[in-house]
Amino acid sequence: MARCMKMPDTQRQSKKSPPAVNSDSFVFLDARGKRWPRLRLIMFVSGLLFFIGVILFAQALFLPSPLTLPPAVQQLKSRLKTLQNKEHQSKQLATKPLWLNFSKGNSEPVATFPFLTDQSGAVSPLKKERRPQFACIQEIRLGFYESWDPGSFDSLKANAGNLTHLCPDWLTVEDGRGGLKAVEEQKVLDLVKDRGLVLLPLLRNMGGEGAWRPEAVEGLVNGPVVRQDQFIVSLKNRLKTMGAGGVVIDWEQVDPSYRGAMAALLRRIALALHADGMELWLCVPMGRELRALDLDGLAEHVDHFVAMLHDENSESDPPGPIASAEWFNGWLDTIIGYGESSQWVLALGSYGYDWTEGEKEAETVRFQDVMSRAGRSSLASCEFEAPTYNPHFEYEDSGAAHTLWFLDAVTFLNQLKAGRAQHVGGVAISRLGTEDPGIWQALRLDAAKPLTRANLATLETIKPGEAIAHIGRGNFITMADERGNGVRRLVLDKKDDLEAPVIERYEKFPSYLTIVHQGRGAKDAVAITFDDGPDPKWTPKILDILKAKGVSATFFMVGANMEKYPSLVRRIVREGHTVGIHTYTHPNIALVSEERAYLEFNATQRVIEAITDHSTILFRPPYNADTNPHDPEELVPIKLAQKLGYITVTEDIDPEDWARPGVAAMVENIKKGRQQGGNIVLLHDAGGERSQTVEALPAIIDYLQARGDSIVGLSAMLGIPLAELMPAVPQSQRSMSRVISESGFAAIHAVAEFFWAFMIVATTLVVIRTLTVAGLAVRSRRAGESGLPAAAGPHPPVSVLIAAYNEEKVIEQTLRAVLNSAYPGEIEVVVVDDGSQDVTAQIVAGMAASEGRIHLLRQINLGKATALKTGFDAVSHEIVISLDADTQFTPATIGELVRPFAEPSVAAVSGRARVGNPKTFVARFQSLEYTCGFNLDRRAYHLLNCITVVPGAVSAFRKSAVFAAGGISTDTLAEDTDLTLCLHKRGLKICYAPRGVAWTEAPETIRAFAKQRFRWAFGTLQCLWKHRDMLFNVKYRALGLFSLPSAWFFNILLVALGPIIDAILLISLLMSPANNILYVYFLVFLGADLLLAAVACLIEREPLSQVWLVLPMRFVYRPVLSYAVITAIVKASKGVLVGWGKLDRTASVTYNA
Amino acid sequence: MKAISTRGSSAGMKTILGCVVVVLCGLALVAGCQRDDAARDKGQGPQALVMPDKGAYTGAYVDFGEGEDDVTYDAITAFEKLTGKHLAVVAFGNFWGEQAFPAKSVRIVSGYGAIPLIYWSPWDRPYAEDRGPDRFNLPDILAGKWDAYIDQWADGARDYGKPMLVAWGVEMNGTWFPWSGAYYGGGTVVGQKDGQPLYAGPELVKQAYRYVVDRVRARKADNILWGFHANHYTMPHAPWNMMTNYYPGPDYVDWLGLSVYGKMLQSEDWNLFDTVMDAPYQEICRLDQKKPLILAEWGVGEFPPADKAEFIAKAFADLPTKYPRVKAAVYWHERWENTDGSYSNLRVNSSPEALDAYRSGVAAAYWLDRPQFRPR
Repeated sequence: MARCMKMPDTQRQSKKSPPAVNSDSFVFLDARGKRWPRLRLIMFVSGLLFFIGVILFAQALFLPSPLTLPPAVQQLKSRLKTLQNKEHQSKQLATKPLWLNFSKGNSEPVATFPFLTDQSGAVSPLKKERRPQFACIQEIRLGFYESWDPGSFDSLKANAGNLTHLCPDWLTVEDGRGGLKAVEEQKVLDLVKDRGLVLLPLLRNMGGEGAWRPEAVEGLVNGPVVRQDQFIVSLKNRLKTMGAGGVVIDWEQVDPSYRGAMAALLRRIALALHADGMELWLCVPMGRELRALDLDGLAEHVDHFVAMLHDENSESDPPGPIASAEWFNGWLDTIIGYGESSQWVLALGSYGYDWTEGEKEAETVRFQDVMSRAGRSSLASCEFEAPTYNPHFEYEDSGAAHTLWFLDAVTFLNQLKAGRAQHVGGVAISRLGTEDPGIWQALRLDAAKPLTRANLATLETIKPGEAIAHIGRGNFITMADERGNGVRRLVLDKKDDLEAPVIERYEKFPSYLTIVHQGRGAKDAVAITFDDGPDPKWTPKILDILKAKGVSATFFMVGANMEKYPSLVRRIVREGHTVGIHTYTHPNIALVSEERAYLEFNATQRVIEAITDHSTILFRPPYNADTNPHDPEELVPIKLAQKLGYITVTEDIDPEDWARPGVAAMVENIKKGRQQGGNIVLLHDAGGERSQTVEALPAIIDYLQARGDSIVGLSAMLGIPLAELMPAVPQSQRSMSRVISESGFAAIHAVAEFFWAFMIVATTLVVIRTLTVAGLAVRSRRAGESGLPAAAGPHPPVSVLIAAYNEEKVIEQTLRAVLNSAYPGEIEVVVVDDGSQDVTAQIVAGMAASEGRIHLLRQINLGKATALKTGFDAVSHEIVISLDADTQFTPATIGELVRPFAEPSVAAVSGRARVGNPKTFVARFQSLEYTCGFNLDRRAYHLLNCITVVPGAVSAFRKSAVFAAGGISTDTLAEDTDLTLCLHKRGLKICYAPRGVAWTEAPETIRAFAKQRFRWAFGTLQCLWKHRDMLFNVKYRALGLFSLPSAWFFNILLVALGPIIDAILLISLLMSPANNILYVYFLVFLGADLLLAAVACLIEREPLSQVWLVLPMRFVYRPVLSYAVITAIVKASKGVLVGWGKLDRTASVTYNA
Repeated sequence: MKAISTRGSSAGMKTILGCVVVVLCGLALVAGCQRDDAARDKGQGPQALVMPDKGAYTGAYVDFGEGEDDVTYDAITAFEKLTGKHLAVVAFGNFWGEQAFPAKSVRIVSGYGAIPLIYWSPWDRPYAEDRGPDRFNLPDILAGKWDAYIDQWADGARDYGKPMLVAWGVEMNGTWFPWSGAYYGGGTVVGQKDGQPLYAGPELVKQAYRYVVDRVRARKADNILWGFHANHYTMPHAPWNMMTNYYPGPDYVDWLGLSVYGKMLQSEDWNLFDTVMDAPYQEICRLDQKKPLILAEWGVGEFPPADKAEFIAKAFADLPTKYPRVKAAVYWHERWENTDGSYSNLRVNSSPEALDAYRSGVAAAYWLDRPQFRPR
């Protein structure tokens, strides 16, 4: 490449032979054409590698890892078995049946209980009082509803049409002072109103821990009348607010000694309710508890008795029938003797009890659970025989023997028949949510007629519907979804005998959508789990607490967070905690597409593998982690997880720490959860303000340890070694895809971080530069105010040099303006015609003829640089003024340009180019750019002598200095920049004469503008490259340290990267509109532009109003500039010879004028 | 002063030297002892329970189920919440029928911040009263049949290490428990001592008591405070059955204990606390002048219209004034069903009035809610 040095003398005789275009030395030119192919090859290969890398990365994310459930996690099929060789232990009724003690025909009077003498003083009125009668004498159908079971509400919704009354468990009397606690549900109230049911809430004396509180009733019964009155008033008000038709009282475990007082209290309650048109119903337990109720006395005032004809064997009793036929009929016969038969509502059970051998309490199960257990144990059928006529069976689950007794539609039908035969007032369903759906069918069968084959057939098919069955216990769940109908055969025991019970035989058990639970763990085992982490604010604190207490926990983490904080993940594993996945971005798995769900699972797994060298088979679904999934929506993530080889871990103790209820409330929730048998605690270590979780954690751990529980990890609870739940990925077997995914994640991470770092640096530099330039410019202006008056100073002769190519339209004006200068000194005008194809040369020749100062030189089209070179050789004077053919000088221009030359070290002076045709927007943009870009920069740089370009449009040169610097070179497109930098290399001074104004013609269309800017950009690039040794070179002071780097960074790099930055900003804004950092960057850049524009306009005394153009410029102008710079860079790499403008030409023909 | 001869001066020197040595040794000893004390003061060594000079410890048995041993943290804290005061003593049963030291229960009690009081009764399942001796009968115990169990239990107690109160042979002067003297010959005279007859029942009971305590002490379970726990009334009410006859001796007893109940059954009469406490208190205090007395069980049932609140309030009033030797009172909070179907509800909250009386009674500063310890 050509260097700035003295040109050989042979070149100076330009008039003799036209100088060839120095194509050998053209910057970036690749003469042998090797660069571009090489570059292309490199680009192709790296592009291919990158493409393959992306594919592999994506593959790693999309294709699932081959997770295998450890064999210890038993598959559903092999878990349940029929119980072999179990000895049938029949219960021997050695003693007389209890109900006989109570039946009216009993010879032994009630006085066998000697203590049952009335102790209270309350006297019951003897006269029968009139009760409000309900007009309808239809059969009562009361549904018992439990608010904590979503299944109960489902059943209510589906079957409200079959009910007449509803009894929800809303009211409690907890202490002996008569305090009433009520928890209503609006949705139930609405439904009741909607369907026209009579609301009779249940009032119980049951405490929060699930135990009956006899003192709650006894305190009322034995207490002062005032207390009773207050209680009755609060009860009535509550009932009225609910719009209830009355209340159902279920008071249990009351001391029978208080029988009389109890009856008195109930009478008072009844009277009070009746006064307001409400009813009092009373639950009557079948058993020794009956002693506490004076049924005869109560029958006068209580509207209905609800006979609890089930729980012959309750969950705390040894295995046995829930309501055997014998027991049922015995009690029915007994109680019917009290009161009117129509007063009696028979509560019929439809649920089951599953006794596990060795455990004290049975599990209450619903009909679908029963069917599911029977079906999956490969049972042939259930036992159903006299005298119990209650279905039951035995099975084995993981080595434990189970006995299961239940009540279904057939027992319901038999009991219903018996009840109707006694003309009872109706039935109650105990309870909604556990029932065999067949009972609704049974209810519809007409009581009056005998049962026919056709009637029974309706009960024979059992459809699973949408019901979800549960098998086993524990929080580790998998799912089976093979639904199918079941069949049972019904026959009458003795034909045509109305009173004979119906016999059933299950031939095929229905199969349901089944959730299989495992991992119940030891009774005192409890596990603590944290979701949504890691978070650098909370997780370390939590880890510290766990470490201090010596407790290990499990962390279900979100992939995006893990990726951000891998060191925390490593710490979690290092400190002995268990790790599970919680998806990548925490979406609701049920609502996203299956592909997205796969991606969520796999990406999270990859991240864990990459960070910890372990996989994990534990999964917890976001949002839905309840151990009893009830919506089909909740089942989707479980199904998916299973497919991919994960086991879903749910929770059953939820202190709701995300709601920040307070430490005491959280510990209370955990206490309740433990009492109900829960053993996995759900907490959060990220996803919001978690300081309360951190605060509560020590209290939670202390509480659990104080009550003697052992806090274990999930592997201990499930009974599977940790190495199987979190298998290590062996070093030697790290597959290529893992490497790719690791590097992929690392690369994404690095790119993101680099981007942010770059943005910060760029913004800072922009701010610094803006302030520096503005400051310098202002100082420069102030300094420049005190300038030499125009009149003083020498007025040396000047040569005005113009290179012209096809400028016929403007050349005459230009020349006239020059000649009209007010400059006192001698002016010579040299016009070099660069082979114009129009009449430019003719016009100049014509003018030269009449005006002696004008000289015309002609050459073939060799480019502007060559033309100028020719011109420089031809001019006579020392001071050479250069301008473009379309630039209009003012009269003062030449004088102003010449003035600085009084100082000998000045080698060149830049004038102030201004846009003379600001008509179109493009032109106005350029005008503003000239003002606040080029001119402002020059003002600022002038102070530090680091002006980078003296524009050919309006400038002046010292000829000797130019030749000393090597003259005009033709190896770049921006010969003016080249020359300026060469002059700087000689240590000469370059000045700015702001009063030397010249009006230039700016391209008015975007197309022309783009072409111009491409040329400028290419040229600048060439010059910067050619003079790259000046960059950061201290020798060149401000030029090397400030203005050249500034040109590189702001004019080339930032402009070229502009579109990419804009695209990233736009995408980020769309993805996370709330991310205010990006707005800041954007506004800082814009602010800098506006500031600079404002300063410039003020300095240059131009109208401030054009500053607003900065805004549209940002969106229209900038992209064009970027395009120009990018094209320039591309062409530079291609190594193509780029011409001066209108045509890309290579010299081949010489022309002799 | 006379001139001292050289011989006298060397003797004087020896004396002075001797004194210095003695003083130094004494200082060393004292320093050495103090170092041990310092260690003990930090709570590192074995601890002993401090019986308060003024005041008495609160305590309760909180309805721990059929075997009186289903001790849960939640039950204890629920009682605390109900009565408004922390418990210093938590009492529960650990019957021989369970054949294990209740390690978990004592840990829960000590974690809660109370000292356990264990009724370590030689009783077999199903823990029915009025049944007479079962396999844990006294001759078998004395024959060594249950030595292994006693040793294992003692080891458990020793490993637990912290102070615990143990009552063996509770209410032996009655008839409802199988270890009572009434089942082992009762009033049959078997010998003489100091002019007093020795009776079969009480002698056997004392012998068995000493045997058990000796065995446990041999296993180095020194953290146990042994209690002599008698019933407030003797049944049958005969001279041979007096609690004095059952007293095993001061070396075998660390604390005296009494069960004092008001009306518990329908068949009983209603009495106030002092009526049932006066006589037994005097009798047991005569057995030893210094040993602390623990009201190891007390309570009264709810039998309206009788005023349970009054009983409780008066009990709390009388204990500090009339019965100052009582250093701890353990309330029996239970409701049970009797064989005839009636209920006995001794719970403090059997009625709101009773609960209020208990709450205000126990709130007094006289009742200390945390056990105090000192190095042993």
